Amino acid sequence: MADEPTPTEQNPYTQTHVVAAGETLGKIAKQYYGDASLYTQIFEANRDVLKDPNKIFPGQKLRIP
Amino acid sequence: MKKQLTWLIAAMMAVLIVGCANQKGPAEQAIAGAESTLSGMRDMAQKYVPDQLAAVDAQLASLKDAFAKGDYKAVLAGAPALTSAIGSLKEAASAKAAEAEAAMAKAKDAWASMSTDVPKMVAALQSRVDMLTKSHHLPSGVTKDTLASAKTGLDSIKSAWNDATTAASSGDFTGAMAKATAVKDQATAIMQSLHMSSG
Repeated sequence: MADEPTPTEQNPYTQTHVVAAGETLGKIAKQYYGDASLYTQIFEANRDVLKDPNKIFPGQKLRIP
Repeated sequence: MKKQLTWLIAAMMAVLIVGCANQKGPAEQAIAGAESTLSGMRDMAQKYVPDQLAAVDAQLASLKDAFAKGDYKAVLAGAPALTSAIGSLKEAASAKAAEAEAAMAKAKDAWASMSTDVPKMVAALQSRVDMLTKSHHLPSGVTKDTLASAKTGLDSIKSAWNDATTAASSGDFTGAMAKATAVKDQATAIMQSLHMSSG
């Protein structure tokens, strides 16, 4: 069992979040972890779709580790 | 007259003895045959229909008891019922064995899917528990107690999953599936407590 799923790993049990207008990774991290500073963890888990943590777009489906 | 009566009694005794001696062989054969048939299916019957086997054993013991008392007639009279009971026992044991084999094959198929599914659940759960442990605050609806309970539950799940894989490795897919299903249910409950929704 892997401790940390890699970005490309397909795990149907990993929670996902569809980005809404006005959201940031910090806001999403706050919603799921209670701590906005953990946004980097979401960024790392989605490196296959995100190039810049400050650039996310409505409709993007992100994995929430 | 007295001499004639003595001869008659002697003749009747002779007929009786010859008659009994004639029945001893078949009675002995009937018991030996039943014992032989039973020994060939005893293990299977003990495993799948133990109560029915016990009833047949009691029937056989009764005939052996009659044989030991020299009541060969009773043995021969009871032999057909014993033969029939042994036939029914074999039929019932074979049917149960076939059922068990089918259930095992079904469990083996189900295990193939479960054995890839559950580790993914556990990985997702472990990842979330790790993240929440790093967090300086907890999200709405998740308390410190919830997280502590999830950690304990996760340890329990890992241990139970090891038991399930051990059972599967030894060929007990029915047992493995029972354990795996319990693990999956527990993992689902923990995911819900942490407000994780799959997919």
